[in-house]
Amino acid sequence: MGRIVLDKVTKSFGETQVIPPLDLTIENGEFTVFVGPSGCGKSTLLRMIAGLEDLTSGNILIDGEDATEVPPSKRGLAMVFQSYALYPHMTVRKNIGFPLRMEKMSQAEIDERVEAAAKSLNLVDYLDRKPGQLSGGQRQRVAIGRAIVRDPSAFLFDEPLSNLDAALRVGMRLEISEMHERMQTTMIYVTHDQVEAMTMADRIVVLQAGVIEQVGTPLELYHKPQNVFVAGFIGSPKMNIFSGPEAEKHGAATIGIRPEHTDVSMSEGTWKGTVGVAEHLGSDTFIHVHNTGLADMITVRISGDISVKHGDTIYLTPQAEQIHKFDAQGLRIE
Amino acid sequence: MSDRKLPRLLQTPAVLLLLVWMLIPLGITLYFSFIRYVLNSLRHPEWTSPSLSNWRGFGNYQFVLNSKDFLLAIQNSLFIVCSILFLTVILGVLIAVLINKSFPGQGIVRVLLISPFFVMPAVNAVLWINMILDPVLGLQGIAVGGINDILDGMRTMPVLGGFFSLWPEFEPISFRATQTSAIAVIMMVTWQWTPFAVLIFMTSLQSEDQQQKEAATLDGAGTWSQFRFLTLPHLGRPIAIVVMIQAIFHLSLYAEIEIVSRGNGNKNLPYLIGEFANNNIGAASATGIFAVILANIVAIFLLRMVGKTLME
Ligand SMILES: Nc1ncnc2c1ncn2[C@@H]1O[C@H](COP(=O)(O)OP(=O)(O)OP(=O)(O)O)[C@@H](O)[C@H]1O
Ligand SMILES: [Mg+2]
Repeated sequence: MGRIVLDKVTKSFGETQVIPPLDLTIENGEFTVFVGPSGCGKSTLLRMIAGLEDLTSGNILIDGEDATEVPPSKRGLAMVFQSYALYPHMTVRKNIGFPLRMEKMSQAEIDERVEAAAKSLNLVDYLDRKPGQLSGGQRQRVAIGRAIVRDPSAFLFDEPLSNLDAALRVGMRLEISEMHERMQTTMIYVTHDQVEAMTMADRIVVLQAGVIEQVGTPLELYHKPQNVFVAGFIGSPKMNIFSGPEAEKHGAATIGIRPEHTDVSMSEGTWKGTVGVAEHLGSDTFIHVHNTGLADMITVRISGDISVKHGDTIYLTPQAEQIHKFDAQGLRIE
Repeated sequence: MSDRKLPRLLQTPAVLLLLVWMLIPLGITLYFSFIRYVLNSLRHPEWTSPSLSNWRGFGNYQFVLNSKDFLLAIQNSLFIVCSILFLTVILGVLIAVLINKSFPGQGIVRVLLISPFFVMPAVNAVLWINMILDPVLGLQGIAVGGINDILDGMRTMPVLGGFFSLWPEFEPISFRATQTSAIAVIMMVTWQWTPFAVLIFMTSLQSEDQQQKEAATLDGAGTWSQFRFLTLPHLGRPIAIVVMIQAIFHLSLYAEIEIVSRGNGNKNLPYLIGEFANNNIGAASATGIFAVILANIVAIFLLRMVGKTLME
């Protein structure tokens, strides 16, 4: 079990309010990702759930019980830190077994559980090493192992992969996703990596300055961003967003069109512009288009390759049904 | 000349200087320890200048080993050094952990805590033995006198008086006596060197990783477990450093011992060397060699112990 409810929680550091009143329900077994720009309060929120940070007001309910005053170790949650926070003087075996040792579990049972966790994380060969003798990815696994053995009702991850190189990140991402499929335990995962959020999450919570901008499945956020902020934040390359006469034509204050929803032609189209930088990725091409009179730059994404040169004239046509419209408050118009 | 030779050549003066610096005193001590060499002798005037013709072999060592003070001096050296190390490390860790938390007036408290370290050893000894430990005029005398006065008052009380008259008068302890002078030395040196330990431990505590502690909190570790499993291992190396440096310093304690009891019943090896050196340089040198050996044994033994218990 692991249903977590945040009921009007707030957090202030001294005078500054970092989290204004916030409500959120995380269902049992759900993989929830918190995303948002740096400093928006993702870590603070996670630490409040973990109990490492006191609430200024509001309540946290875990499985229906008020956990606001419950000490961190009694909440049944396990956390994986960005810096791994392994105990440097203990071997991997002792690190993973530490929470069990604190529960005064018998040595035989500790050994058994540690072995099992190590096996599922491919750490068996490293059990007698110290954290200092492991690679970044292995350390990350040990940190996850230390969380798994406790059999928590929910896992909390604070940017667990941001210290790893790109290739390892992809691998670990899959491992964590598989772990979630296998265990079906609630997981809350903080990241500012879009791809991690989109690929791993059952539900994404987009935060800005402590305020929830939208909660939804990755595809909901992609297809129906509730406001301009979410529209610009989710998706890579970013959605092209502009206001002005062109927006008014569609009856909106602001409109947005994703780079992949714009057709390109060298001879005719709705908008005319000149090619700036063209990024050829092989599978895709990103073209930066200038002088359209709409925005400083419009990005378009073309599947496959196209031969354009810097300075070429190019015509763009947005796919009409893919245009996102927003009112003067920045909220979505259907 | 190959690539290696020139740097080597340029290093030689420094290396030679260092060797000379260390080896000559050690060599001379060794040499003196194997010959008869005294400062004054009416019967054997030829012994008053060092010369190989006065060769005594291991005679000086035998003389020292047989002298009644030698065993006492070794025991005392070890007793004093180990007690001081034990006390300063424990007090140092406790105080460092305490003042590492932030509280108002932190700066002042830290400066005050460090101040004993700036007192000269001889002054420290004079201060303690005369002003604090003196059985009559020192703080101890006054305190014991005060308690006895209160007890006297209680004895005259109507009902309970009978009970209190069963109590003996308290006797102040004389710290210049044979049995207690080592204790006095331990107290004053501990007072002086605890700040050193605190200082080193405090710097180390400040570099402790806070996320590890948070992780441990989540893992269910209480304050004591965090101290035992995270802080103490983290302090392992600084403790080894404190133990090492202090062991070397305190094996050569001299001023305190001289001032407290003039070595009466409380000699350590350096003090014994000093006594021999009044006349018998050969015996003093032999004792010096013993002291070097002892220092090495102590250092190795202590480091092993600290390393084993803390670093797991
Ligand atoms: N202990 C603290 N005292 C005062 N302000 C703090 C404290 N911790 C965090 N803050 C502030 O709270 C805000 C949110 O911080 P938080 O660490 O939650 O951001 P974040 O979303 O995790 O950012 P990042 O993606 O960079 O990790 C920031 O503006 C930060 O300056
Ligand atoms: Mg953060």
